[in-house]
Amino acid sequence: MEPVLELDKLCLGYNKVIYQNIFATAGEGEVVAVVGPNGIGKSTLLKSIGGMLKYHSGSIKVLSKPLGSYSTRGLAEKISFVPSQSPRARNFSLFDMIATSCYNRTNWLGTINDSDKGFIYKTLRRVGLEDFAERDSSNLSDGEFQRATIARALVQDSKIILLDEPTAFLDIENKLIITKLLKEIAHEESKCVIFSTHDLQLAIKHCDRIWIMGRESFNCGEPSSLIEQGAFDSMFKDSLLKFDPVLFTFV
Amino acid sequence: MHYLRGQIEYRVTVKRKNGYIREYVIVSISLLILLMLNLTLGSVMLPPKEIFSSLFGQSTQTFVNEILWDYRIPKAITALLAGVALSVCGLQMQTLFKNPLADPFILGISSGAGLGVALFVMGFSAFGISFSGSVFMNMGIAASAWFGAFAVTLLILLVSSRLRESTSLLIFGIMLGSVTSALITLLQYFSSSSALKIFVVWTMGSFSGLTTNQIWIMSALILPGLIMSVYNIKELNILLMGEAYAKSLGVNLESTRRRILIATTLLAGSVTAFCGPIGFIGIAVPHIARMFFKNADHKVLIPATALLGAAIMVLTDTVAQLPGQSGIIPINTVSALIGVPIILLIILKSRFI
Repeated sequence: MEPVLELDKLCLGYNKVIYQNIFATAGEGEVVAVVGPNGIGKSTLLKSIGGMLKYHSGSIKVLSKPLGSYSTRGLAEKISFVPSQSPRARNFSLFDMIATSCYNRTNWLGTINDSDKGFIYKTLRRVGLEDFAERDSSNLSDGEFQRATIARALVQDSKIILLDEPTAFLDIENKLIITKLLKEIAHEESKCVIFSTHDLQLAIKHCDRIWIMGRESFNCGEPSSLIEQGAFDSMFKDSLLKFDPVLFTFV
Repeated sequence: MHYLRGQIEYRVTVKRKNGYIREYVIVSISLLILLMLNLTLGSVMLPPKEIFSSLFGQSTQTFVNEILWDYRIPKAITALLAGVALSVCGLQMQTLFKNPLADPFILGISSGAGLGVALFVMGFSAFGISFSGSVFMNMGIAASAWFGAFAVTLLILLVSSRLRESTSLLIFGIMLGSVTSALITLLQYFSSSSALKIFVVWTMGSFSGLTTNQIWIMSALILPGLIMSVYNIKELNILLMGEAYAKSLGVNLESTRRRILIATTLLAGSVTAFCGPIGFIGIAVPHIARMFFKNADHKVLIPATALLGAAIMVLTDTVAQLPGQSGIIPINTVSALIGVPIILLIILKSRFI
């Protein structure tokens, strides 16, 4: 099967290279975790794929076409991006918040037609917020709000969904809920979901593919084969932390 | 969201868009009452009965007709237009910069207009030319103010394509405002006292003395600004949730910013040109609208701020003429005196803005 996303010798950064030689792929129906130490460039990688940042060199292919060949709007129809922290608007209902992501399909006034309305309610059910449509979106809990931003990306109806640390500020229960939700979305709606995270255990357990942005090198593969290769040890440079292949964590 | 506090459940919900008929009716009726009050009060009190008969062309009392049609109605229309324009403009600035303190003049439009007027008034006086009170003076002030405002916007538009974030634009606008203010002070320092007085009176703001033609010009500039504002609604709603999200949706941020800026110049620039830099309404009314309508959707807020802005500006003008025969209080004084208590009351009552 053709990969949905291909990164070939990608070097991140604008004027100077901040991370180099990324070779990676992601396919339809896959959930991919991007792991790596703080400041290595996980957000930069996701934003570069999303067309929000320029990259230094190499190539990014989205659905077998180079990233540069897409218009802003065309790219928005293929890729949606969930920033790590979205501002909340007071007195803005959850329905209205999610409805904004129909941007490319609505008329000049942003009127939501019936099929989109149905799609929004279906998506709200999908993320478990069906009773919350009329609620003030600024009054949701962090976990609920994160699910709302995922619903927003789903309503944008793109093949690829990028999420920048969707589980960063959540408790352990919500971390699991979000990770499982991302897995379900990828598998059941044949999307390609790529998210950055620091929760290695959850990533290894639930993701089909992991991209490791190590200090020394970049690795892309299935969790089990990466463990066999000992690829996780490349994440941190010094021998202070060692990856435990049984516990799926650093000790 | 459910808040379970003891046995009481709090639900915070937002009303649907068509659920605001009651609020719109209340505001519209208030506007009509305030307009009637505005026409009634003044140096001479006109009874509402006389006003009605004159409005429908049945009045035989020529002095009522004269006061009403030559003086009060033009003034009320000017106040109404200014209120609508400044409020709608302030709302867009607050959303664009995600800053509750933003107002129509935050990018230096009023300072630019002020510099235009200062150059015109004091520049001529420096050459020993004076023409106080003439029609040429009025139109000259309006034109120079409009060109000053336009020049500032043009400069900001040129810079905005080079800036990635709106915050940088905000800083640039404030700096530009400071520079123009400094230039105005410099001009004031070297100008004659009569020219200085004309300038100071302009800064106080006024709705009176506009000819029918001037009102037509003002409307012709404000109307496209309002149409553009309505056209901006879709993007304004998205901007509520941050520029990163807007960008990922495929919103062209540069052209959106440009459209909002042009609408702002047409709205705030035109009001400033004909009525002077009227403060406070542009910052206060959007907040009042948000409090009263409790919905951040610009489809609700744009008409709401327009109606509320008109009502509050007409009220301001009514209060300004309360001294009756002993003169008029400057509009800017009244707008601050009325606006500040309203906004403080709202903050204290709801504890947030």
